[in-house]
Amino acid sequence: MSVLERILNGAPGRFTVVALAALLLVGAVLVNAFAPFVWVGIYTYFCVTLMLVLGLELFMGNSGILNWTYIGFVGIGAYSASILSTDPSLKHMGVPNMYPALVNLHLPVVPALLVGALVAAAVAAVIAWPLMRLSDAVGVITLFATLIVIHVLMTQWDNVTNGPRTFFGVQQFTTIWIATGAAILTLVGTHLFRESSLGLRLRASRDDRFAASAMGVSVVRVRYLTFILSSFVAGLGGGLWAHYITSFSPTSFYVGELFVLLTMLVVGGAGSISGAATGAIIITVLREGLRQVESYLNNSGVISFEVYGLTEVVMAMLLIAMLIWRPTGIVGGSEWRLPLRRKQAAAAPSPEPPAEPVLETEAAEEAK
Amino acid sequence: MNEFIINTLSLGSLYALIALGLVFVYGILKLVNFAYGEYIMTAGYGLFLLGTYTPLPWWSVMLLSVALAALMSYLTELIAFRPVRTKSLTAMLVTSFAVSVLLQNAALLFISPRSRAVQLPAAFNQSVALLGVTTPLRNLLTIGTTVALLVGLTLLMKYTVLGIAMRAASDKFSTTRLMGVPANLVISVAFIISGLLAGVVSVFWVGRSASVDPLIGFTPLLIAFIATVIGGMRSLVGAVAGGYVYGLLFNVLSITLPASVINYRDAFMFLIVILFLLLRPEGLIRGSYTEERVG
Amino acid sequence: MLTVNDLHASYGAIKALHGVSLEVEEGELVALLGTNGAGKSTTLKSISGVLRPLAGTVRFLGDEITGRKPEAIVKKGLSLVPEGRDIFGSLTVAENLRLGAFSSYERNRYQEDLEEQFALFPILKERFNQPGGQLSGGEQQQLAIARALMSRPKLLMLDEPSLGLSPALVDQIFALIETLRDRGTTILLVEQNAERALEIADRAYVLKNGLIKFSGTPQQLESELDLASVYFGGEEGMGEVTV
Ligand SMILES: Nc1ncnc2c1ncn2[C@@H]1O[C@H](COP(=O)(O)OP(=O)(O)OP(=O)(O)O)[C@@H](O)[C@H]1O
Ligand SMILES: [Mg+2]
Repeated sequence: MSVLERILNGAPGRFTVVALAALLLVGAVLVNAFAPFVWVGIYTYFCVTLMLVLGLELFMGNSGILNWTYIGFVGIGAYSASILSTDPSLKHMGVPNMYPALVNLHLPVVPALLVGALVAAAVAAVIAWPLMRLSDAVGVITLFATLIVIHVLMTQWDNVTNGPRTFFGVQQFTTIWIATGAAILTLVGTHLFRESSLGLRLRASRDDRFAASAMGVSVVRVRYLTFILSSFVAGLGGGLWAHYITSFSPTSFYVGELFVLLTMLVVGGAGSISGAATGAIIITVLREGLRQVESYLNNSGVISFEVYGLTEVVMAMLLIAMLIWRPTGIVGGSEWRLPLRRKQAAAAPSPEPPAEPVLETEAAEEAK
Repeated sequence: MNEFIINTLSLGSLYALIALGLVFVYGILKLVNFAYGEYIMTAGYGLFLLGTYTPLPWWSVMLLSVALAALMSYLTELIAFRPVRTKSLTAMLVTSFAVSVLLQNAALLFISPRSRAVQLPAAFNQSVALLGVTTPLRNLLTIGTTVALLVGLTLLMKYTVLGIAMRAASDKFSTTRLMGVPANLVISVAFIISGLLAGVVSVFWVGRSASVDPLIGFTPLLIAFIATVIGGMRSLVGAVAGGYVYGLLFNVLSITLPASVINYRDAFMFLIVILFLLLRPEGLIRGSYTEERVG
Repeated sequence: MLTVNDLHASYGAIKALHGVSLEVEEGELVALLGTNGAGKSTTLKSISGVLRPLAGTVRFLGDEITGRKPEAIVKKGLSLVPEGRDIFGSLTVAENLRLGAFSSYERNRYQEDLEEQFALFPILKERFNQPGGQLSGGEQQQLAIARALMSRPKLLMLDEPSLGLSPALVDQIFALIETLRDRGTTILLVEQNAERALEIADRAYVLKNGLIKFSGTPQQLESELDLASVYFGGEEGMGEVTV
């Protein structure tokens, strides 16, 4: 058995991770070498987005809970890292009213990014403990309310965030290579998490909360830890994104952006890394395409009014269509496999339970 | 003081209607409908389009706009929610989020990103004197309409078979079907009532700002969340009570918060909500509804 | 009247029925027996449309009703009194009964039917305006049966009507079931209390692990296998039973 085969025949999903990582790397090399300059930017953006979707999947895909606050933690990471990494002499330009104590805080970019992620994780750790105990409607509204609170703070606390105005002057640090590397690391990390005992327990608790508690899995504790981990990824991704885009405002961390990440996750298939990745690819391509259409329509004078919202309308219709006809997403809950292995799997019963659709209920057989 | 009371009653009435519309669907489908605000937006654009481009008298513009919101609510149920009803709660939530984004952006795309002025009869904003207070007629109309609607809905829920069936369905959905009550009927009626309430809310909401824009539904949605959390998601009475309590809370905070933190009022509100949820997840009024899902 | 053929049903990955077939003729009282978890309730749920069967057919009064909506099946005259009574606790007795008549409401008939239920269950008249949740277990069971009767079912399915009732109330419920049968209602009765059920049943089926293991008259059942083995025994005895 060759080394490659051994790698590929490991835990399910390992093939996905290796294949995806290779694909990302090859993609980065190709884009960097041959594609027009705009593509480099799009690719960088795509890698950071992929990282964010994987982070969202980490908690949501594994617990089945719609995590509204996720995008708030992306924002916390972005602001924290940017405040730390920006040169004190430049900070007054970006945030005129910043607290003097914050102005003098300064770190190199990499530690700043890590601290940003840690701040997001720490905030998550403080607020999430009571949140995880709630379920259903109350839990959803509480998570949503928490996002609103985070958003109000971002838009109102202008000594820190410059309020609703744009935060300027962040260094451009995130290159295509850094973004690709970060995406690959997140891939590996989320995969390891899924196969770790914590990940397995979380998935058990998603499939049957009561059975899982009966088996001694502390649902609250497992969810809590994963929530923090997911927020860490959010914070890191937010920091990287901020250091790519260099100026941003609180609207980048609100319901609209969460909608994009959520669409990626659901269209691809919540419940697997392959699904998150597939969704991120498809939606990124779709969005860029629709943006081209929008700007063509607006610039060519074909129509007399400005086109806004076309992208969102199409994405929302796609999302609704997927939920109706294929709620398990394009990938369908299981990981990508080698074609060869799929045949084997068909012949012999797979040791792994197959699809674990997040958006299907256990009682799907109940008549309607 | 009298002025405070009338303002609070009027605001509370509006909030009660907002909350009631959300809970009507929640009670039966256990769905927190994020698209609820967009039904309010729909009626708002109804007021704008019909009021601006047709010669219809204002009262028929209002009635048609309210009907439009109910129709929109029904259509979203038919097209988007019905097919995902048997799937997980999260699938329904994500669907409602998608419907919300779809409707908002459709308004952006097909009407305009900018806000549009809505003509309402001048009498609406005329001041009247009552109990030594001068207040816009709109406030009194809000209170009066709310009382009329609450009485009407109470009669409907208590004394008609449909109402009884709806109460039964929010208690035990499958058993209700075993009585021969069609599932689609109760759910559609719940959405239609929810839409009607959204439409009425819209008339008064738009009446305050005299304009409509694609994001107009967002604030009422938040209000509905806060009020239902305070009052309890599981009972209609709770939602109404929550609306009035929130109206009171809002006015008190507006008066008592120092100017420097007034911008944080929403954050305060939501902190209160979060604390409320953590300390008393069932709300002020413990409803009889179970958490059983429709599926 | 009711013909169930090779019915399969599952809850997610858990298969509960592996091909159940049974028949109920007009005017019969048929008992469906079996241990806990045998699949009795699942069978009734699949017949009444609450659960959509994976495979198999259900025919009622000559029409196939497999996988139809529960509300449509009730309208055809097939009513289920679910396990654990399932009355609407926040609704009054009156409202519970009114809902029972949802599919067949006619003003004159409604009053008549109501009087009939009062004759059978006098306690319901006393409690008429009280919330169902305030009734005792036995009263709730009576309400559940009365509610189902309000739809004038041609076939009534009862899921463990004696569950959790005191011996005196159990007597009363069984007497009532006999009365209903004597008045011409066809009944499919699921019971844990096999002895009592066999006393009044015309025929019986025994369900085990999602399969029918026996069918015949109560006399046949008693002679062909030790009743206790239906409930406590293992496979021995069961294999020899001819159907
Ligand atoms: N909602 C459910 N989800 C998952 N499995 C279920 C569910 N309901 C029943 N089952 C399983 O299906 C099988 C048959 O259950 P069913 O309720 O039909 O049994 P029963 O014969 O009615 O038992 P009892 O006499 O205890 O009422 C059992 O193994 C049970 O564990
Ligand atoms: Mg049972």
